[in-house]
Formats: sequence, C-alpha cells, structure tokens
Amino acid sequence: MKKKTIQIITHNLLLLVLAIIWLIPILWLVVTSFSSYPGINTSTFFPKEWSIINYKKLLFSADSVAQFPNWFKNTFIIAVFTCIISTCFVLMVAYATSCMRFKMRKPLMNLAVIINLFPGILSMIAVYFILKTLGLTNNHLGLILVYSASSGLGYLIAKGFFDTVPASLREAAYLDGATEFDIFLKIVMPMSRPIIVYTIISSFMVPWMDFVYAKIILNSGISSQWTVAIGLFNMLEKSLINNYFTQFCAGGVLVSIPISILFFIMQKFYVEGITGGAVKG
Amino acid sequence: MGKVKAGFHAFFKSIGGFFKDFGEAVVKGDLFVKLSLLWVGAGYARRKQFIKAILVTIIQVAVIAYTFGFAPEYVSKFATLGTVQQESVFNLQTMKNEFNDYDHSFLILLISVISFVIWFAWLLFYIRNTTAVYELQKRAKEGLHINTFIEDCKELLNQKFHITLLFLPVLGVIIFTIIPLLILILVAFTNYDQQHMPPSSLFTWTGLTNFINLFGGGGITVTFGYAFVRILAWTLVWAFFSTATTYIGGILLSLLINNKKTKAPKIWRLLFVITIAVPQFVSLLLVRNFFADGGIVNTFCANIGLTGWLRDIGLISTSYIPFLTAPIWAHIMIIFINIWVGVPYQMLIATGVLMNIPAEQLESARIDGANPRQIFWHITMPYMLFVTGPSLVTDFVKNINNFNVIYLLTANFFVTANQAMANSQAKETDLLVTWLFTLTQDYYNYKMASAIGIVVFVICSLFTLVAFNQMIKGDREEMFQ
Repeated sequence: MKKKTIQIITHNLLLLVLAIIWLIPILWLVVTSFSSYPGINTSTFFPKEWSIINYKKLLFSADSVAQFPNWFKNTFIIAVFTCIISTCFVLMVAYATSCMRFKMRKPLMNLAVIINLFPGILSMIAVYFILKTLGLTNNHLGLILVYSASSGLGYLIAKGFFDTVPASLREAAYLDGATEFDIFLKIVMPMSRPIIVYTIISSFMVPWMDFVYAKIILNSGISSQWTVAIGLFNMLEKSLINNYFTQFCAGGVLVSIPISILFFIMQKFYVEGITGGAVKG
Repeated sequence: MGKVKAGFHAFFKSIGGFFKDFGEAVVKGDLFVKLSLLWVGAGYARRKQFIKAILVTIIQVAVIAYTFGFAPEYVSKFATLGTVQQESVFNLQTMKNEFNDYDHSFLILLISVISFVIWFAWLLFYIRNTTAVYELQKRAKEGLHINTFIEDCKELLNQKFHITLLFLPVLGVIIFTIIPLLILILVAFTNYDQQHMPPSSLFTWTGLTNFINLFGGGGITVTFGYAFVRILAWTLVWAFFSTATTYIGGILLSLLINNKKTKAPKIWRLLFVITIAVPQFVSLLLVRNFFADGGIVNTFCANIGLTGWLRDIGLISTSYIPFLTAPIWAHIMIIFINIWVGVPYQMLIATGVLMNIPAEQLESARIDGANPRQIFWHITMPYMLFVTGPSLVTDFVKNINNFNVIYLLTANFFVTANQAMANSQAKETDLLVTWLFTLTQDYYNYKMASAIGIVVFVICSLFTLVAFNQMIKGDREEMFQ
C-alpha cells in the first residue's frame, strides 16, 4: 500500500513540474502586465513595483501608438461579420457534401484537398492586389471578405459530424413529404447544436488569432484602423518596445481572457460533437 | 497508386460523358435545340418556360457584352503583358502633365485570368444548357410534365438543394482562392519585381528563368539557389521534428493525465490548455522576449553560471546565450518552443481518441491477462495510429506551411550574419513560406515568391499523395451512417 502512495505522489509531482514549465511564460505575462516600469524587466521574474498603470493607460488614455479600445472594437466588428458568413458557408458545404449525393460531389471534395495544399499566403498576395483594384484594402470589409469568402474550404470537421447523423432519419422525413430544405433546417440543424456552436466560436476566433492577413490588408500604418493582433505586434517594434512592453503584456492579458473562455467552451462542444452525445437518433 | 489511377479514370470518364451528352443533343435535337446553340433561351421559350428563357438570355447578353466590350482591351495584350510604358506627357490644352495611355501589366494579367475563368464557366453553362434543352424536348415528346418556373425554384430547395447550398461558398472560393492562385502561378513565369512594378513600368513573360535561378542556375542571382537549398532543408527538418515531437509528446502527456494515478485530471488538462488558449501572437511574441539576448532567461543563466560554463567549453563566444539569434541555437529553440505550443493541442486530440477506444477490447485483453504495457503496445498504440495516422500527414504539411511560429519568433529579431543568405533576403530560420512572405512584403519580389509558392505546393502534394495512398484503405465516411 505504501509503495502505491509513493507512486501516486511521484506521478502527480511529475505532472506538477511539467505544468509549471508550461505555465511560466503565461505567469510572466500576467505579472509583467502589473509592472510600473514600461520596458522589459530583465533582471527579476517579478516586477519590482506593482501597479495597474498599464491597464489604465491602455484602456483610458490612448495615444498614437496604443489605441487598444479602437483595436478591440475593430476586431470585434470584423469577428461578428466573419462569424456569421463563415458559419453559414461551413455548415452549408458540410451538409451538402455529407448528406446529399450529386455528380460533382467527389470532384469538388478532391479539388478542396488540392487547393488546401497551396500555402494560403500565396493566394493572399494576389487577393491583396484584387482588393486594391476594388479599393478594399485598408478597409474592414476587405478583411471580412478575406476571412470568410473561402471559409467553405474548412468544412471537414462539420462534415465529420453530419456523417454520423443516421441516414434513416433523413430518409424517413423524406418519405413523409419533407423537402431537402426542410430536412436541413428542421431536422438536422436542431440536432447539431454542438457542431454549430463549435463552428460559430471557431470562426469568431479567427480575426482575434490571425495576424498575417490583417497585416497584409491593413498596411496603411493608421493605428486606429488596426486589429488587436497588429496593434500589439507593432508595440514591440525596436523603437517602441522600451516604452510599451508592459502595455503589450496588459493588452495580451485583456485579449486572452475572452479568447480563453471561448476556447474552453469550444473545446467542450468539440468533444461533444465528436463523441456525438446529442446525436444517437 | 491504384486509387489515384481510378480517380483519374472516373474523372475523364465523366468529362467524356459530359461531351457525349452534348453531341447527342446537337445531333438528335429538334430545330429549337439547334437554335439554342445560337440563342440559349430558344429551347426554353419553345416549351413555354419564358422566365427561364429570359434569365439565360440575360446571362448570354452579359457574357457577349463582356467578351466584346470589355475583355479585348486586356486579353489581346496577354501575350506580351503590355508594351506601352507609362510616361508623363505635357498636355497643351489643359497646361498640365498627364499620363499617356499606358499599359498596366498586372491589370492585363488579372483581367485576362478573370476572363478565362468566365469563359470557362460560360462553356460549361452552354453545354449544360444544350443538354438540358434536349432533355426538355424528350420529355415533351413523351408527354411528360414540364416544370413551370415556380416548380423549378422549388426544386432548388429539394432535389437540387445542393446547388443552393454550394453556390455562394464555391463562388467565394473561386474569387478569393482559385483566381488569386492562378494569377500567382502565372506570375512565377514573369519578371514581376521591384524593377518592374506597374503602373510605372511593365513586366513580361520570362519563361522558366525564375525556377532556374531558384534551383541554382543563372549568373547574378546565383545566391537564390544557395539560400533555397538551405531553407528547403531546414523546412523539411523543421516539419519532421515539429510533427514528431508534438505527436509523441501529446500522446505521452495524455497518457500521463488520463492515468488512474492522476488526481483531478480535469484540472491538469486545464492548466496545459491555458497555454494554447492564449493567442499565438501574444504567447510567441512574449516568449521571444523571454529568451532575448538581454532577456530574463539570459540573466538567470548568467547568475547560475551556465553562460560562463558554455563559454568555457566553447559552445558560445558571446557574453549571453544567443537563444534566438544564432542559427543552430535558434533552430533548436524554435523546435522546443513549438513543443510548448503544440503538445497541448495534440494532448487534446489524443485524449479524445483514447476515450473512444472500444471498451470491450480493453476489457477482454485484461481478462486474457494482458499487463498494462502489453495493452498499450498491442491495443492503444495501433488504434491511435489507425485513427490519427492521416492527421500526421496533414500535420506535416501544415508544419511545412507553419507561418505563425517561425514569423512571430524571428521576424525583426533574428538577423542573419551570412551575406549570401542576406543577398537573397533570406535568413537561416526562414521556412519557405516566411521567405516568400518577406520577399513580397519587404522587397516586392513577386516573381521569386510565386516560384517558391509553386515549389511548396509540389512538395506538399507529393507528401500527401504518397502518404494517403499508403494509409487510406477504402472510404470510411459512410461507416457510421
């Protein structure tokens, strides 16, 4: 019995050590955001003086470099529209490829695989020129289009879910005189809550997490137009880092809190969707 | 390769069938079917489908107007990409400097590609239309019911619902992915770079020059070949190690957490997942300052004497440890930092898979007297590989294109000391995709970036094709339906 106790203790101790390694940078992010010194603290892990001045500055006294409230608002607006369009696209494509049978189904799916093999950045460069011709660069509409227009390509997870919806259910409804549209909207959608929530959250998070596309499209250097990601990245420019590093940390904490919460909710629904808790018709 | 071959076979067969139907429609069709080769609405009008006839006529008029009114100005110059350079001319009437009627090479390329796509779509529509009209003729001859316009619309919500569902998403992909890709593929065969930037100057076709330069031929730009080989090697090394380490690490961590000896596994899992819940641009930018030359880790290492010891044994020659600023150090550190970012993801996936292992199998193995180690090697691992095998390939491809980790850790931070690398705007830590990005964003070298992009695509498709043919035996998508 005693041997077992020691085993349990060492086992959990090992996990503790690993968890500490994994959490040190995050801890550093949080403690540094409460430092009163604006630059990087290089000598000690914890700040010498604690204060909430970084949060105050970030939220209430925006300057030409740090416009966090603006960035947050921009990203939020972009995220809402991206989320609506992408969710519709993903669910539509996933349903069509999973539940319907038509001639072009396989060729289209193969084409999607091939397109996904090209580095996304490559097409972005040309997209930038197309948007520029249309006058949509440095414009939030342009960025929303970039995030959502091709989102149909990311249909595979949702398709995996729809594949588990019993075909007999749809066939029964069809025999009862329901149209395919009715089946989609009134039968399959209501029982797909986990995957719908998962899709909504994951597409909502894209503009918060993305950095590259925003940098390509919003390249004018006008700080008030930026999203959170490029704004915070800009704070670490060599000439700014010594005055803004702790504000960067504060901004990082502020954006991480809602994103983490969404992430955990998403994980829950992802697992539910995969294990199919709701769907055993 | 059997599956691929079968796929090609089916593909060409369906194309053949498509044209066969068209031929049959043209030969056996009545006057109105033949007339609809000229006026696409003719066949519908004959069967009293007037609204449909008007709609297709509008499409036809639009395409004709586009083809003869707008496209020729650009498409006719496609072969040269323009010959008239922009010049400033003094206009005597307005007394101002004005531009001449110059050619814009990129617009010519862009509108030509869009025109080709439109014409291709029109061709498909045209053929499809003719066969549809012939179908109508057959139905009319047999006295079958012919749909009214409202019935046709209702079909779009029923038998043809997939068309309604797919129309907008596919259109989005065509405009925002396929057309841009076609353009960039073509740019790889031009000399579009900083010296040839429209509108002030023209660019033109150069054939395979960019690829020859990239693969080490060519005179002046020989350094591109030098950088390419090194960056390609690092890309593959990185993709292999980042995939392998996070995969193995993820399985080990999930086994560790899901072990019976673990107290409160949910809380442990949560602690690890916090790291990936923080957006990468925050966590990675933070970590790179954590490991900066004058950063806190270096202070710590100097204090405990690690820096001095490393200098004594000759591993470093500086007064700090160049974690992310010297080539070999940076390579190793990037892979380590990627373990930090990637293992929690893989842990989540592995946990999901482990939970789905059929309980009967584990139970019967236990009854048969298998010990935990045997169960792990003979049941858990094979199951794990079976389920996650294909995702290993996609992970590998994703890592070849893993822009975020590399860019956020090294951009404006790692400066190469190798002049030959710097000449081709590359650095030792670059992947092909980050190199491509720097070339376009900072140096406007679109021709080389496009060539690199094509190479990345070829590499990714080779790996995918080979691996998937090995792995996927049969289609499993309908197994659970």
